[in-house]
Amino acid sequence: MDQEIITRYIGQPARLPRELRARIEHACSGSSIQLYALADLDHTLRLSESWLALTADHVALARRDESGEWRVRVTNRGQIDGVQETPALSAHTLSLLGEPGDPPLLVVRYTHRQRGAFENIRFVLDEALNGRAVVAEDDVADRVYAAAVARPVRDAQALVAGGGRQSRVIFRLLRYLLPYRRELALGLAAASVITLISLAPPYIAGFLIDRVVRPAQDGALPRGTASHMAWIAIAAMAALYLVRQLAAHIRLRYMAVLGEYVARDLRSELYEHIQRLSLSFFSRKKTGSLITRVTADTDRLWEFIAFGVVDVSLSLVMLIGLGGVLLTLDWRLGLIMTVPVPLLCWLIYWHGESLNASFIRAWRKWSRVTDVLSDTIPGIRVVKAFNQEQREIERFSERNEDVTEQFNEVHRKWTTFWPLLMLAVHTTTVLVWAMAVPRLLGHGAVLSAGVFVSFLLYTTMFVAPIEVIGQMARTINRATSSAHRVFEVLDSEPEVRDDAEPIRLEPVQGRVSFENVTFAYDGVRQILRGITFDVVPGELIGLVGPSGGGKSTVVNLIARFYDPTGGAVRIDGIDLRHVDSGHYREQIGMVLQDPYLFHGTVLENIRYAMPQATSGTVIAAAKAANAHDFICKLAQGYDTIVGERGHTLSGGERQRISIARAVLHDPRILILDEATSSVDTETERQIQEALDRLIADRTVFAIAHRLSTLRRASRLFVIEKGRLAEAGTHQELLAVEGGIYKRLYELQLQLV
Amino acid sequence: MATLMISESSDEARNELSLQIDESGQLFVVTDDAVPVRLRQCFPWSEPHRHLSLRDASEREIALVDDPAALDDRSRGAIERALAIAGFVLEVTRVLEIDEEVEIRQWSVETASGPRSFQTHLDDWPRVLPDGALLIRDVAGDLYKLAAPNTLDRKTRDLLWAFVDL
Repeated sequence: MDQEIITRYIGQPARLPRELRARIEHACSGSSIQLYALADLDHTLRLSESWLALTADHVALARRDESGEWRVRVTNRGQIDGVQETPALSAHTLSLLGEPGDPPLLVVRYTHRQRGAFENIRFVLDEALNGRAVVAEDDVADRVYAAAVARPVRDAQALVAGGGRQSRVIFRLLRYLLPYRRELALGLAAASVITLISLAPPYIAGFLIDRVVRPAQDGALPRGTASHMAWIAIAAMAALYLVRQLAAHIRLRYMAVLGEYVARDLRSELYEHIQRLSLSFFSRKKTGSLITRVTADTDRLWEFIAFGVVDVSLSLVMLIGLGGVLLTLDWRLGLIMTVPVPLLCWLIYWHGESLNASFIRAWRKWSRVTDVLSDTIPGIRVVKAFNQEQREIERFSERNEDVTEQFNEVHRKWTTFWPLLMLAVHTTTVLVWAMAVPRLLGHGAVLSAGVFVSFLLYTTMFVAPIEVIGQMARTINRATSSAHRVFEVLDSEPEVRDDAEPIRLEPVQGRVSFENVTFAYDGVRQILRGITFDVVPGELIGLVGPSGGGKSTVVNLIARFYDPTGGAVRIDGIDLRHVDSGHYREQIGMVLQDPYLFHGTVLENIRYAMPQATSGTVIAAAKAANAHDFICKLAQGYDTIVGERGHTLSGGERQRISIARAVLHDPRILILDEATSSVDTETERQIQEALDRLIADRTVFAIAHRLSTLRRASRLFVIEKGRLAEAGTHQELLAVEGGIYKRLYELQLQLV
Repeated sequence: MATLMISESSDEARNELSLQIDESGQLFVVTDDAVPVRLRQCFPWSEPHRHLSLRDASEREIALVDDPAALDDRSRGAIERALAIAGFVLEVTRVLEIDEEVEIRQWSVETASGPRSFQTHLDDWPRVLPDGALLIRDVAGDLYKLAAPNTLDRKTRDLLWAFVDL
């Protein structure tokens, strides 16, 4: 998909051209290319195409000469003494440095768009300079390049499998109708009946005038017979209207319900799929955007399926039917009415498009208004503190005026267009009159009054389908956009997948082993670099080290939120990749720095993972977590609603509820991620006391910046720059002269 | 090392800071030896040619040049060349097409550096700079400047109408 994105949107080669690749590899003594990037700026800062490629021993730069021929310049990696990237507003420079004082071995410039691909190359070269070889897998160069270049577009847009062509997306959406074929058939049949019946009353009116009223007035038809025929016609009309409304009821009922079923199916499928997706997906997509997909987008699809599909298809049928009827009734008058129809449809489409620019302009100005609100309402204390109320009022008023003016312009446009359009429709009607009246009076081809009346009644039916057809493009675009966003989620594959027959660890003993584990979120830049350790059941392991060193990644791998890119994580000797992850996670617990409470009662939150737990066990867990006392002080005790829109609890209180949740869960492996870092000393004491009870008889991994909280750890692992830099007890590590732990510990003592 | 402030044109100021630039565009502060520095504009849009911060590899400020005119000719030449790279953004000369797709807006433009296509988020709007120029940031982070939007061709102005108040 990444290569497709590059070809479709970015307008640069989706991969290193095959011939050039062969030439570069030839120039590099046959070594295969591990990574490459496109330098899209030349030394005069014009957009151009040069390729920087990395092999095991060489760096090659391919540039076109004046005649347009590729020239490949090869530098031996052994000559490289340093790699320097100089970022700028839009022109970044990568320099490969040789001996100090010598000019750079190679300099390339590129825009932000290429930066990810160049960072990959820089990372590998940097690692090599630090004595750490990063060996890229075979044939990853194309994939890594495409992923780096396409990522910004991929992250910004909802992309679906198969290229996301509009027709394909619509057909895919319509497949969701298959389970409801019966309802769909009934709905469509009812809609067809409505359309057909709508054509009948004007015909009956014409029939009444020509065959009943006029013959009766002229004395050609006896009054009694005429009256009888008229009443039959009126009864037929009444019956038709009755059937029509019955069909309308069936159509509305079945299609609305059908649309609701499809929306329900999409929502369920979407939500189930979201639950299965890996954490990396959630780090790419905003929460609000995912919620919108499950709610607003499926709602819009309901509208499209329930009404859009039928309205559009029946409007087409109606227009064709009307055209056919009018031409059959009187081809001369029929042409006057039907010839302008395509033009009218196009005018409505054109109007929609031209209004679109005005709407974008209004939307932009509206966002300027909301910018002021989202700035000043959360920041009202600052506004008041600096006495800027008047300035903010003026800023808001100016933008408010501006957006009002823009919306008024939108109103001016549509209020001008629609009367003009209706004038055009009426003009055709007047033309029909102008052409028909002489004929009614006996000049030219014969035209009966009944046919003319039928004709006039049919002309009034033109406007609605023309309007629907004119807005068809917008209706389909809106539905396709929503379908895109929904299908994008459905097409995302979870990165952590279980084997077909996974192993169930019953129960987990708690032995955790890392065997030369490497991990990279993007497949290239390693966050963990060959970590090996073995933790026996019941050990309390403190993970310490600088931020960004890889501590959280270690616990993410233990929880199997991700699979390692190299090496293996073993639980009780079994590779975690072969374990039933759902069953395994039932036996691990996590207490996070910012504990999350769901909207619901305290009771529901504590027994989130064990809904069947009795009130007694919940109280016991809360007591163990030092939470029972403060919960009892709440007016509604364990039945107090907390979480979103619920009772506000302090950070320490929420933390103790999350500990009670973990106590009740009774995990075999427990992960504490900065559990006491954001609370005051007294709260920390209470939480620490609760944690001491919680960690007994379990394997525990605790991340903490306050090293004093980890004194009771069986062992401490110092994780720095993705490596296990030091391991041992508190005392052992303090005894290491110049050690990282000793330095961190002394630094914290000084701060105290 | 304290930051060197160069803010006035005088012989003293000229002697205080000496700069040179090599073929690759690397700027150096020349003292006893040549220290490679990178140039950061303090005000890239409001005062792009003044208040230029020169920083070493560890981002420590070596000198703050308030006004390059205060430098000797050679140093001024060097800083102006470095400024051309540091302040480079793609200058749009013509907008060919703006299309809306799902969640992104697709732009096709001519720039002073060549033709380019790029994408913006639907709710990202061009920013009006203090000199009236427009600045557009694409999803990758690249910047596109329309220096004098009112002087661009009619089609460009029509296409831009929805996005800016020309």
